[in-house]
Amino acid sequence: MNPLVIAAGWLALGLVTSAFLRRPTARLVAIVPLAGAALTLFAARSTTAAVPLGGLSAISGLDRAGQGVLVAAGLSMVLVILLQPSVDPSMGRSIGVVGAAATITIASNSPLITGLVLAAAVATLVLRWVDQAPGKVSLAAGRAAGTGTAAILAASPLLPLTGFTTGERPVVVAALLATGVAALLAVYPLGGWAAGVIRTLRPIEIAPWLILLVPVVLLVAERIPGGVLGAGTPVFEHVLLVVGLGSAVWGGIWAVRGTDQTRYGRVFMADIALCVAAIEGPPVSPALTGALIILVTHLTLAPILLRPRDGVLVWPRRVAWALLSGVPPSPAFWGRLLLLEALAAGNVGSTIAAVIAMAAIFTASVMACAIRIRPLAPPGWRGRVADVAAWLLVAVGIAIGLAPQSLATFVFGH
Amino acid sequence: MGVSAPLLSAAGVIASVVAIMVDGRRAVAIAVVFLAAGLAPTAAAFGGAPGVAVLAGSAVASVLLAWIGWLSGRVLPWLSGLDPMIPAFAPPDRLFGPRSTRAFGAAVAILVASWVSFNVPVGQITVEQGLLFPIAYAWVCGAVRLVTARTVEDLAVGVAMVGIATATAWLLRNGNDALPGAAFACVVAPLAAFLAGWLNGRSSRRTQTRVEVEA
Repeated sequence: MNPLVIAAGWLALGLVTSAFLRRPTARLVAIVPLAGAALTLFAARSTTAAVPLGGLSAISGLDRAGQGVLVAAGLSMVLVILLQPSVDPSMGRSIGVVGAAATITIASNSPLITGLVLAAAVATLVLRWVDQAPGKVSLAAGRAAGTGTAAILAASPLLPLTGFTTGERPVVVAALLATGVAALLAVYPLGGWAAGVIRTLRPIEIAPWLILLVPVVLLVAERIPGGVLGAGTPVFEHVLLVVGLGSAVWGGIWAVRGTDQTRYGRVFMADIALCVAAIEGPPVSPALTGALIILVTHLTLAPILLRPRDGVLVWPRRVAWALLSGVPPSPAFWGRLLLLEALAAGNVGSTIAAVIAMAAIFTASVMACAIRIRPLAPPGWRGRVADVAAWLLVAVGIAIGLAPQSLATFVFGH
Repeated sequence: MGVSAPLLSAAGVIASVVAIMVDGRRAVAIAVVFLAAGLAPTAAAFGGAPGVAVLAGSAVASVLLAWIGWLSGRVLPWLSGLDPMIPAFAPPDRLFGPRSTRAFGAAVAILVASWVSFNVPVGQITVEQGLLFPIAYAWVCGAVRLVTARTVEDLAVGVAMVGIATATAWLLRNGNDALPGAAFACVVAPLAAFLAGWLNGRSSRRTQTRVEVEA
């Protein structure tokens, strides 16, 4: 199945569910990511990974890692919706558009198409966020992320760089692409918008960005230096290495200092920043594997940790934080160990910054585990189902920790 | 007949300045029309009649879709509205408010666009010609409008400006994919105009209803 058909499926289902579902049946919005993940299983397989550094070309298929990311993200989004105390049926529109954009982004070799679909996804999310919480914070998301997609669009006429691998042109392209990636992944100095929306909006509102868009953009960012970027490669890599490490340390510190409500978002941002820094560092193999393990860990645990703290799922939440802390043999430990190994191959400064960020994330996780809330009995069969689902996710998290490489190979083929 | 680079640049700069400064409920459509007109000579020089047609089509579609969006936003009864004109940042009447910032950004954009024009080649254009200037200027002005946005309308104008500038840059590539690429990039502007029109329509319906209730 062509990725365009899969994207059309995401989009159509998202629009239909947001138009026809009402409050009592709002949880059926979960059909959108579920169907998207199911369709992605039947995607036409591409033997080479798509890198958005080419001209305008047709979209033919998905590579194994891209397919794995999309399926895992879709299933994670389903569980996020099912574990929320309440769901707004109009969420379907955002989920559908972002899912479609993620599918095309991972399959496209054209920066123009990538920029256009990412702009559509960002516009949809920002309009929803402004509608939910009008103000500086939600508009800032439009400013920063919108500028990021504009930067990717601006790079598109300058690509491909065949015949122009030296001089200013590859450097300008690399700077534009790095700006786009940093803005979309909310890496500082372009990451304040994400911290703001995490603080202001309900967790489910940011879930489409966090679960569907970030993993895809991270994977694309990892592939860019492997393409024909010429003299721009070191610029792209070094810029993202520096801002990624700085962002990871900053995010880790704020995960410790911030409120409990924003802690998971901050830890997620710090982990993604570490991944960005490591995969854009020296070309060593552990970085990508580590980033994929971190991704699959977050996709597994996010449904539990994105639920507002309300006395339900107290113990699954504590275990989830423990799995995220980085204590062996948690999956986060293996992921961060591989990232650290990759960064240590570069220079000692990177290693020190990464260790500080990881220590801060560990402290934040311990603080989150230590919060005392009186557990409430799950109300009715729905509550019990949510409890069982949360424990199943915890079990999957433990399984990833026990066999990280096998799980990463199973999900991403890497 | 040779191409006069200063004339092309002047047309692009005037259009970009209008687009970055324009405010109000019809701002997106006005910005797109001016920008398409200002960049049309550049498009004609490199894309010929099809290039101009792409920009003109985008401008016409933007005006039409802004109107259709406004109309449907007013007519469709089951949706409540978000006013795209409500400012979220500085109040509009400050001395160094958003327009001053935009004017400053437009001035700085000249330097950026000059550097890009003389150092970054696109497609078959050589670095000495400097023909990328109006496009780079329009793009930087669009980015400034995005970064300094106070309202959803500002965001829509910025996105539309970036779309039109990107489309014209695609025409300069002169490859097989130049025209389809330009057409794809141009799609952004009518969509932004539709969205802004739709939101304006919904919010004007809400205001009208409130006035009627109070009466």
